[in-house]
Amino acid sequence: MVSKKWIVVGVIVFFVVVIGLWAMGGYNSLVSLDQGTQAQWAQVESSYQRRADLIPNLVESVKGAAKFEHDTMVEVTEARAKVGQVAPTAGTNPANDPEALKKFQAAQDQLSTALSRMMVVVEKYPDLKATQNFRDLQSQLEGTENRISVERMRFNETAQAFNTKRDSFPTVMIAGFFGSRFQHKAYFTAQAGAEKAPQVKF
Amino acid sequence: MRLLLPLLCGILPLLSAGAETPIPASPSNYVTDAAGYMSPLAVQNLNSRLEAYERSSGHQLFIYIGKTTGGVPIEDWAVKAFKTWKVGRKGLDDGVALFLMVDDRRMRIEVGYGLEGQLTDALASRIIHDVIQPKLVANDPDGAVTSGAEEIVKVLDGKALPGAASGTSPPASTQQQIPLSNLQLVLYGLLGIAFLGLLATHPSLALYLLTSILSGGQRRYGNGNSGGGFGGLGGGSGGFGGGGGGRSGGGGASGSW
Repeated sequence: MVSKKWIVVGVIVFFVVVIGLWAMGGYNSLVSLDQGTQAQWAQVESSYQRRADLIPNLVESVKGAAKFEHDTMVEVTEARAKVGQVAPTAGTNPANDPEALKKFQAAQDQLSTALSRMMVVVEKYPDLKATQNFRDLQSQLEGTENRISVERMRFNETAQAFNTKRDSFPTVMIAGFFGSRFQHKAYFTAQAGAEKAPQVKF
Repeated sequence: MRLLLPLLCGILPLLSAGAETPIPASPSNYVTDAAGYMSPLAVQNLNSRLEAYERSSGHQLFIYIGKTTGGVPIEDWAVKAFKTWKVGRKGLDDGVALFLMVDDRRMRIEVGYGLEGQLTDALASRIIHDVIQPKLVANDPDGAVTSGAEEIVKVLDGKALPGAASGTSPPASTQQQIPLSNLQLVLYGLLGIAFLGLLATHPSLALYLLTSILSGGQRRYGNGNSGGGFGGLGGGSGGFGGGGGGRSGGGGASGSW
């Protein structure tokens, strides 16, 4: 009799251990995917920051040559200032907050539009375009825009990996158990009107 | 089935029409001319030049000449190829790749994270527009690619990485090992013994447990940059290939001719 009881206890303990290990594995993989999106978000942010840092130099060099394009300059400067205001508070993960991400993206997209308009206006000033300083700034801007799109794409990939894992069975049970700890991650969306080239009005 | 077949026949050409050119397998040499754009002699010379360069500096410089990216921007194609080939050393990402797409008439210099400080976007853009492009326009592909590569090497040499001693093979792994604490050792020991006991009594369960734990812990998040510590090509050993790096963030410059 005693041995039978021990077998039952043993089996129960065994299953508890197995379930515990399984839950641990699921939880840990969610945590590592979550950290992945956070790390990738930092990359996205730093590439946007790189662009913001570039703008004062760019505006300065355009201002010198294109004195009559006051409105365009103001637009760029204002859009850049706005970007600073909607920056997510440090330490939070905006991927968890679709509203914050949307606001962030809207501000950045507005800056993109203002910048591309400025670069179109610059076409009117061949003297400016010929200077090495401006060409360097232009290639830096192009490189930065490309970096932004690469990091954004990678961010969406990490967010997708997280969401897929989170929603697949049986991990979804673990995610549900922890409630808001594992929210769905938000994605970057294509810029509205990005397919249209900026208009030039003379 | 009878309905499905014509449907498939109708869809497949549509799919392949605008399909992007798949990223080829890791190149077998520093210079790959899949489009037959350069002369074989120039390719050979440049190859040995770049091989010597990797041996002396540790930096990998790959050159790939293809026909077309198949409709996708060369920037996207380049960053994917860079990652697939793992250009540069693992952990250092000190590789550069120069891509030319002959039919698209597009080119790009893609710079690994580790070299962004030396080969900035502005410098890469100068190399493209001031060195390579004029020679391509003048119909001198050998000169364009060779002098472009020389120029990249020159820029990189301006500030070589401190760890790059000449003649030695690149460090096999830069991943740091965190030493285990005593408590962890004891825990792992206990777990190991428990597992062995389970293996003796319930082998199939034990194996299932092992695989499920491993798959739970080992899965990486989707960007796959790091490539894991297991299947990598390993720096500098055996056959030719990327050094295990391959992380680039879209730095560099593009141009057309």
